[in-house]
Amino acid sequence: MRAALIDGKSIAAEMRQEIAKEASELAAKGWQPRLVSISVGDAAASEIYVRNQQRSAESARVQFEARNYPNDISMEQLVGVLQGLNADPRVNGIIVQRPLPSHIPVKTLQKAVHPLKDVEGMHPASIGNIVYNDLQLGPCTAVAAVELLKTLPLKIEGLDVTVIGHSEIVGKPIAFLLMGLGATVTVCHHMTRSVAMHSRAADAVFVAVGKPGLVTGDMIKPGAALIDIGINRVDGKTVGDADFVSCAEVAGWLTPVPGGVGPVTVAVLMRNAIHATRLQMEAYSDAYAKTEV
Amino acid sequence: MMGATVIDGKKFAAGVREQVAAHVTKLKSENGITPGLAVVLVGEDPASQVYVRSKGKQTVEVGMNSYEHRLDADTSEADLLALIAKLNNDPDVHGILVQLPLPAHLDSDLVINSIDPTKDVDGFHISNVGLLGTGQKSMVPCTPLGCLMMLREHHGSLSGLNAVVVGRSNIVGKPMAQLLLGDSCTVTIAHSRTKDLPEVVRQADIVVAAVGRPEMVTGDWIKPGATVIDVGINRIEGAEGKARLVGDCHYESCAAVAGAITPVPGGVGPMTIACLLANTLTACCRANGLAEPEGLTA
Repeated sequence: MRAALIDGKSIAAEMRQEIAKEASELAAKGWQPRLVSISVGDAAASEIYVRNQQRSAESARVQFEARNYPNDISMEQLVGVLQGLNADPRVNGIIVQRPLPSHIPVKTLQKAVHPLKDVEGMHPASIGNIVYNDLQLGPCTAVAAVELLKTLPLKIEGLDVTVIGHSEIVGKPIAFLLMGLGATVTVCHHMTRSVAMHSRAADAVFVAVGKPGLVTGDMIKPGAALIDIGINRVDGKTVGDADFVSCAEVAGWLTPVPGGVGPVTVAVLMRNAIHATRLQMEAYSDAYAKTEV
Repeated sequence: MMGATVIDGKKFAAGVREQVAAHVTKLKSENGITPGLAVVLVGEDPASQVYVRSKGKQTVEVGMNSYEHRLDADTSEADLLALIAKLNNDPDVHGILVQLPLPAHLDSDLVINSIDPTKDVDGFHISNVGLLGTGQKSMVPCTPLGCLMMLREHHGSLSGLNAVVVGRSNIVGKPMAQLLLGDSCTVTIAHSRTKDLPEVVRQADIVVAAVGRPEMVTGDWIKPGATVIDVGINRIEGAEGKARLVGDCHYESCAAVAGAITPVPGGVGPMTIACLLANTLTACCRANGLAEPEGLTA
């Protein structure tokens, strides 16, 4: 094996240490960061995510409250719940767990979260800010993938990057984030004529499609970085979108699955909680400064 | 020496305006609705005055109502926001455009983001940027929308084509890339930091140049037969000291290689206001729960 593995677990652990420090500083100013997670219906479906987030929150000194609402809650009631959380200064971030029952459209719910509390980075305004190079609250998975690239000894400015997959929450935001950092980005997808032609030209490849074995070693430029965001179950094992064995022979760096992007995603959620808390603190003090007492 | 089809933006824009006008006539007779566009101009920037006048004129020509609001250069932020709030709540106003640039004491981001996103016919509101960025229904910035319409007309389907957008500005490059992705192109966004720009551009079936550097893209950068959309408008000194307008592409050399090309002037430029009218119509249809006109939006 030629490629060096990018250890998401240890990167995430370092991030949490840094976050914990910032959380304590904010708490000392009266702004203890606090997240509320909303799940609806069968809690088992999202249980593993919630548990992971809870554990990560604990070590990052972010308070975490998991709420579960009954399956038959109406859209109006749920939006009401979110509006309450939006207005509550003790809540700094809201997580909408998926899956949701079919009568609750996820996009409508995500839009109901106040942009300053949008720690998942899913509100159109958050995405818009990413496009406009304000990189504070980005979608966690996309930010995590870019974060991993940043740990490598590569200069992102001018770097040729190919992103395979143009999903709304992963592929596209990755492209915007990298563009904001000065990379030359090519976005490929299922209509692309020759993905290999583009991926072979790239110094770094991101793949987020959900097809095991999609990227093989012969599609990678020798020494390039490969960030694998796919999570697939094959024969009872979790694998990414890259064929690990052949890619590891060619790539310079490679993320393992599991243990690559996944752990960093949860750490980014916590860092977003810190950013969100700080933004809210500033918004409150601005508003206070304009209030006549 | 010139092999390329010239994409005539003037003619194309006239066609778009005709489509808009026909749809407006239908809206008036069948639904009793007249689309309305409000344009807000703060101060007396001469270029802005020309734009606003020509927008108002074309709005009326397609049968829409035009509302012009001219405010003094020293208008306070509060007064401007109050006007926008009034326009947001006015059911006769379907599109609101605040002419940029604003005087320095006004915060453009704040002002633009105070427009109701569904009336933001420039497509600059942060929510519209995010909606477009995630492939959702939004208001699309006029210039890239115009480029997309011309590309669709010329190619039919854009699916699977390699597109290179040169320039990553918020108002052209970035939305253009998203629109091309939406039409299933494989998209590369190149810019001043790109390592080997000519080589990147040479891979493209579609080149959209929007960098603001006169005649930067030359014929040897272009793959034979490619389509070149030139968004740049630069004023340079020509023969005998006379100023002339050129694009970001060197026209003669590119036209010799390309399959199709937009001239400057007379290419992308005329499409921008036509698309503003198309956006106002689209916003009006959406506001009234009516079907959107076909071919006039992303």
